[in-house]
Amino acid sequence: MSAALAASPPAAPRAAGLARRIGLRVAALLAVALAWEGLVILFGIRPFYLPRLSAVLAAILATPGAYAAGFLRTLTETLIGFVTGGAFGVAVAVAFLRCRTLREMVFPLFVVSQTIPVIAFGALVVLWFGNTLMAKAVIAFYLTFFPVTVNALIGLESVDPRQIALMRSFGASPRQILTRLQLPSALPQTFVALRLAASLSLVGAIVGEWFGDTTGLGVLLLQAMYNENVVAIWAALLVSALLGTGFYAAVAFLERRLVFWGAEQ
Amino acid sequence: MTAHKSLAVQRGILGALLLIGLWEGVARGFALPAYVLPAMSDVLLGVWSKRAMLAEAAAYTLTEALLGYGLGALVGIGLAVALTLVPRARGVVVTAVTAVNSVPVVAYSPLILLWCGIGLASKVVMVALAVSFTLFLSTLAGLDRVDRRSIDLMRSFGAGRLALLWRLRLPTALPLILAGLRVSTVRSIIVAIVTEMLGAYGGLGWVIYQAVLQIDFVQVWSAIVVASAASLLFFGLVGLAERRLLFWKAS
Repeated sequence: MSAALAASPPAAPRAAGLARRIGLRVAALLAVALAWEGLVILFGIRPFYLPRLSAVLAAILATPGAYAAGFLRTLTETLIGFVTGGAFGVAVAVAFLRCRTLREMVFPLFVVSQTIPVIAFGALVVLWFGNTLMAKAVIAFYLTFFPVTVNALIGLESVDPRQIALMRSFGASPRQILTRLQLPSALPQTFVALRLAASLSLVGAIVGEWFGDTTGLGVLLLQAMYNENVVAIWAALLVSALLGTGFYAAVAFLERRLVFWGAEQ
Repeated sequence: MTAHKSLAVQRGILGALLLIGLWEGVARGFALPAYVLPAMSDVLLGVWSKRAMLAEAAAYTLTEALLGYGLGALVGIGLAVALTLVPRARGVVVTAVTAVNSVPVVAYSPLILLWCGIGLASKVVMVALAVSFTLFLSTLAGLDRVDRRSIDLMRSFGAGRLALLWRLRLPTALPLILAGLRVSTVRSIIVAIVTEMLGAYGGLGWVIYQAVLQIDFVQVWSAIVVASAASLLFFGLVGLAERRLLFWKAS
C-alpha cells in the first residue's frame, strides 16, 4: 500500500509532462501548417514552387488509396529491413566479441563500409532480386546492419571488466554475462545506431523503388516528377514525412522504454 | 600493447586480402555469371578500360559534392551561429528546420530536379540541403555544450557577445562541428549519386543508372568501386584536417 502511495505522486506529473509535450508538438505542427498556408498566400508564391497546404491535402484526399498503399508498401520494406538488419547487426557484434581473430579480420572492413556510399550497392541488389519487395528490404537491411554492428560492438566492449569478473566470481555462465550485463550495457550505444538506421532504412527503401516498381512512396515521387506535378510531389513528401517522423518517434519511444536509466544523447 | 596493435593491423590487412581472395575465388571457381558476381579482377579491368569515362564521371560527381558541401557547411554553421547571437529567433527557426528535416532528404530530389533542372545546380542544392541539416544540428548541439559558469566568468571580465562566441563557444563546439563535417563527406557523395540516378548529364550515379538499365554488371561494379574510392579519399582528407585542428584532443 505504502509502495503504491509512494509510486503514484511522480506518475501524475510525468503524465502531465507528457501531455504538455504532446500539446507543444501539436501546437508547433499547427503553427507550421498555418505558416505554410499563410506565407504562400501572403507572398503569392507560385504553385510550381510551393502549392498551398490545403491544395496538397486535397490532392491526398482525392486519391487516398494510392497514398495509403504507397505508405504501407514503403513501411513494410523499411520495417522488414530495419528489424532483420538490427537483429543481425547485434548478433554479428556478439560474434565479434566472442572471437577476437574474426573481429580483427572483418571489423575494419565494416568501419570502412561506413565511409563508402553503400547505397550505390542498391543498384546491384535490384539487379539480383528484381523489382520485388525483397530487394528494397535487403537494401534497408544492409543500411541498418553496418552501423548497428559497429555501435553494438563499441557498446559491448565498453563494459567494465571488473563487473564481468564479479559476475564470473559468482558463477555466472558466459551466456548469463551476455544477457544480464553486456547486452543491456550496449543498449544506449546500439540505439544511437538504430535511430540513425531508422532514417537510413527509409531512404534505402525509397531509393530502391526508383529503379522501377509500381507501388511505394518512391514510385509516387518519381511519377509526380515525370508528370511535372508539383502538388503530387509535395503530397508524397508530406506522406514520407509522416512515415519518417512516425518511425523515428517509435524507435525513440522504444529507446526511452528500454534504456530507462538514461541514454547518452 | 603496440605489439598487439600491429598484430591487429596485420589481421585487418589479412581480412581485406581474404575478402578479395574469397570474392575472386568464388566468382572464378564457381564460374559465376557476371550478373551474380563478376570476378574482382574483371571489375578492376573494367575500371581500367573505362578509366577515362569513369574519371570524368567521378570528377563531375566530386565537383557537385564539393560545391554542395561547402555551401551546405556555410549555411548550416552560419545559421546555428546566428541563432546564438539572436536567441529569440531560435524557437521559430528550429521548428521550421525540424519540419523540413522530417522528410528523408533524398525524397526532395524529384522536387529539386523540377526546380533546378537536371544539370549541376540541382545536385549542388541537394547536397547543400543534406549537409546543412547535419551541420546545423551538430553546430547547435556543440554551441549549447558551453559551461554556464565559463560564460559567467568571461562576462564578469567584460566579454561581449562576439568575444564569447569567438573565444569560448566556437572552440567548445569545434569537436562536434568537425565530427559533423566528417560525417557529411560520405553523405554529400551519397546524395550526389542518388540525385544523379534520377536525372543528370553525367556523374557516377548516372553511370550506375545507365548500367542498370543496360544490365551491364561489370560497369555497375566499376562505378561503385570508383565512388567508394572517391568517398574514402574525401573522408580521409577531412579526417586528417580534423586531427590537425583538434590538436588539444589526444587521439
